[in-house]
Amino acid sequence: MAPLQTRSMAKPDTLLTLESLSLAQGNRMVLENIDGHFEAGTITALVGANGAGKSTLVQGIMGELRPVSGRVRCEVPNARRAWLPQQLALDLTFPMSVEELVMSGCWPTHGSFKRYGPPEYRRGQAVMQRLGLQAFEHRPLGELSGGQRQRALLGRTLMQEAQLLLLDEPFANVDAATVEVLIDVLRTMAAEGAAIIIVLHDHDQMTRLADRTLRLERGHGTWSTPSRAGDASSPAETLT
Amino acid sequence: MIDWLFSPLLDFGFMRRALVAGLALSLVAPPLGVFLTLRGMSLVGDAMAHAVLPGVAVGFLLAGFSLPAMSFGGLLAGLLVAGLAGSVSRLTGHREDSAIASFYLISLAAGVMLISMRGSSVDLTHVLFGSILAVNGTALWLIVSVSSLTLIVLAAIFRILVVECLDPLFLRGQGIRGSAVHGLFLGLMVLNLTAGFQTLGTLMAVGLMMLPATAARFWSKRLEGLMGLAIAIGMVSSVGGLLLSYHAGLPSGPCIILFAGVVYLLSALFGRYHSVFARWRRRVQPMLPPDAHG
Repeated sequence: MAPLQTRSMAKPDTLLTLESLSLAQGNRMVLENIDGHFEAGTITALVGANGAGKSTLVQGIMGELRPVSGRVRCEVPNARRAWLPQQLALDLTFPMSVEELVMSGCWPTHGSFKRYGPPEYRRGQAVMQRLGLQAFEHRPLGELSGGQRQRALLGRTLMQEAQLLLLDEPFANVDAATVEVLIDVLRTMAAEGAAIIIVLHDHDQMTRLADRTLRLERGHGTWSTPSRAGDASSPAETLT
Repeated sequence: MIDWLFSPLLDFGFMRRALVAGLALSLVAPPLGVFLTLRGMSLVGDAMAHAVLPGVAVGFLLAGFSLPAMSFGGLLAGLLVAGLAGSVSRLTGHREDSAIASFYLISLAAGVMLISMRGSSVDLTHVLFGSILAVNGTALWLIVSVSSLTLIVLAAIFRILVVECLDPLFLRGQGIRGSAVHGLFLGLMVLNLTAGFQTLGTLMAVGLMMLPATAARFWSKRLEGLMGLAIAIGMVSSVGGLLLSYHAGLPSGPCIILFAGVVYLLSALFGRYHSVFARWRRRVQPMLPPDAHG
């Protein structure tokens, strides 16, 4: 019900802090003493081999998993935190159109009862236009390609004006044109003051998108700054 | 002819009450069914319908054929089974559906045993398959109240249910536990099953929930369409089933559900989407030569 905060709130400050965070899945310790802070306006790539604990860390940040020790400090209110899971985690046979999915980004501010008025619908239209989805507005999710779905999902977080955005492999199963659109939109969101954390596999996408990387290996985290494609002639390191 | 067919609905008090009860149930049970099918919980509804039986039986043993007592007992039993199944699956790590299946079987056996201990087989038939003659004023009030309450609660949690069906993580990110929504939804379902058992019987009540919902999926791909159609199918089945029951002298529950079953079968054969006919028509098209139209 609270009115949306304005963008001017987003000063370049720390939105999320991890303080010697340790996380476990069941009895198995997955991550130990992860430290770090995530500032407004930065895109952080979360990399590591399968089973290194990327999803565990995302769960920890979203408050899904209680830390074994340490803590997560988040300055962003619930309403403006967004988590984009892998597409496989979603039931995309659900009878919902692209517009309805995008508009569901209003839920955190509008709840169950408040009506979506013309301003919201106008904003929804703008979001769909920005993502190149106008033509699919009324198409059911089940009839979209992987790329179109991913755009629609990102549309929901745009609608939500997410300030902290976590994405799990957003470029998996997505066409090249969509990758470009997504990268462009994510960059703009960061420029407007969002802190973005992306679980990534592709090294090329990482260098193009991420300001920093947090690599998880054997339960520990290492921070680094990837060399930008524009800055260096070739990537300094190879990621797998 | 038409007069002969429909006049019983207006001429007799018990038919009028059964009609109102059927229409009230048809307004809310099918939308619940639509959500059940969308959440992949079609069989959970069936299981819960069996689960309410021992509660109904205890109500029957304590207070005789009293709808409030039996409904209250059924509601308690249903919620108990849902709660137990949830906790067992959380404690043991077994899937919730297998826990629900186990509990409903225990529950059904206990219910049938309780009723046969005291009542006659006629009573058992009434409880299992319903009897329109038993819908008195109190029963009607109860049914209409449950329907109204369900409609209000469903409207209140509609957006949450939709968002949660598609992406539970989105809600959890907003600090809302999916299990609370899930529990409320199961509660509504049990409430409607207990309200429906008077006309339909405990075993048949779930039919008015599921069959209109599954039939509607052959006709619409939109949520509003599914809900509207399911309600319409539910209402038509209630009226048609009641008339069939009256004219043929058969129990009302099976008649209403069979009517809905016929609609389902016709939809599966001739529906607009995914039906046998729709698939057959789609398969024919690619066989045209690619340059047929120049």
